[in-house]
Amino acid sequence: MELLLQFLSNTGFYLADYRHFVMLAVGSLFVYLAIAKKYEPLLLLPIGFGVLIGNIPFFKGFGLGIYEPNSVLHYLYFGVTSGLYPSIVFLGLGAMTDFSSLLARPKLMLLGAAAQTGIWVTLLSAMALGFMPKEAASIAIIGGADGPTSIFLTAKLAPHLIGPIAIAAYSYMALIPIIQPPIMRLLTTRKERLIHMPEPRDVSKKELMVFPVVGLFLCCFLAPASIPLLGPFFFGNIMKESGVVDRLANTARTSVIDTATIFLGLTVGASTQGDVFLTTKSVSIFLLGAVAFSIATASGIVFAKIMNLFMKEKINPLLGAAGVSAVPGSAREVHLVGLKEDPTNFLLMHAMACNSSGVIGSAICAGILWSFMM
Amino acid sequence: MYGLEAISAYNGWAMAITGPLIVMSGLIILSIIISQLHKVVAIFDKKAEQTTELPTKNKVKSKNEISVPKILPNDILETAKIYQMIIDKIEQPFELNDIYKVAEQNNFPHPILTVSRLRDAGILICEGEGLFIWNR
Repeated sequence: MELLLQFLSNTGFYLADYRHFVMLAVGSLFVYLAIAKKYEPLLLLPIGFGVLIGNIPFFKGFGLGIYEPNSVLHYLYFGVTSGLYPSIVFLGLGAMTDFSSLLARPKLMLLGAAAQTGIWVTLLSAMALGFMPKEAASIAIIGGADGPTSIFLTAKLAPHLIGPIAIAAYSYMALIPIIQPPIMRLLTTRKERLIHMPEPRDVSKKELMVFPVVGLFLCCFLAPASIPLLGPFFFGNIMKESGVVDRLANTARTSVIDTATIFLGLTVGASTQGDVFLTTKSVSIFLLGAVAFSIATASGIVFAKIMNLFMKEKINPLLGAAGVSAVPGSAREVHLVGLKEDPTNFLLMHAMACNSSGVIGSAICAGILWSFMM
Repeated sequence: MYGLEAISAYNGWAMAITGPLIVMSGLIILSIIISQLHKVVAIFDKKAEQTTELPTKNKVKSKNEISVPKILPNDILETAKIYQMIIDKIEQPFELNDIYKVAEQNNFPHPILTVSRLRDAGILICEGEGLFIWNR
């Protein structure tokens, strides 16, 4: 009888408190959104299931939890805390990215820079709310709308906040179809949304091959702290464009990035243990994340409208919303909003140009923030 | 510490001004460079073309190259003599596609029309199953 009671006192049912159930509900919601609503399933399913795994109550000291040394989850979590997974994700991302639309229309790169404004406004807001500078910088990078970049910077500056920041960053990326379209419609007129973009010029293979080298030199000389992200990113891209290592490029954009995404999502999800995660700080991070993401979207659109004041050939301001680096979610959303107004207006290719420059922009921002905090 | 006091104490204003300026100027420079990239590539391409053109001016025709007149003679037997050079390069029996390939590689004028004339003249004989032989 005593043995039975001892066993029962070690079960999850006995050890659970309300925080576990809150987080289990959140995890279940993520899994539901991923499967039923198909909101970024590649991210939300591993994270959601990770939340479920991480919030099953257990007897501390058995080496089971993600924060306990020697546990399997702890070893897998090393890829997050060391910044390893984000670098691998960037390698795969580079091997997927086609820069031809950006090379054909380089001025769209400015929208990728403008959309980073959300990061800097959020930095000030987080400081004003009482966060320490390193914490504020980690929260601010959510405005870049780039999950791996957010995780990377937080791992370097405020590792204790990885859980809430990663969840916030990925949640907002998944919620792009809900967050971005109202902002786009609010800040643009119908006439502006109807602007057609001209066909981009043909870009030669040589240009595509030279770009990763030029991009690497310029971006990494400017912000060397972004090397762990932009180095693999441009390497992945040159593997793709050179055409001499198709096998490697193909592996990078499929098996390698997929493996990193699985473990990144699962361990980030598992890191949200109720007792560690459910704090007032986490709530503030979620609110600041929403502010950062919305400002980033808005600043891209407003900057596109400002550019139109000086340009003969107008650009569709919706493209500014794709300046955040949520690839390819925000580009797809811009395309869909454009199509809703005019079914013959195809903005996807142009939006991808802004999106890829957003990836570069947010990685540079991460590098700059990191160097500011050194 | 909260509010504006915290921002000032942590040097927030300077960061929020310097940071976006660095990002913007970096991406502006990158966009200027990539907007000129196609011109730079074109210059290198032109130079490469010039250096490869020089030896080709004086090049000696290789053994594999066939010299073809710009207009083929009206006499089908004369034309057949020229096409004989193609036939020597391929094994018999052959598909018509083999002739077209070699003809196109060596800039033979109107290969499809000529092959049709050679068939009509009984110089190209069909062996069935898409294969042909050359009537010497």
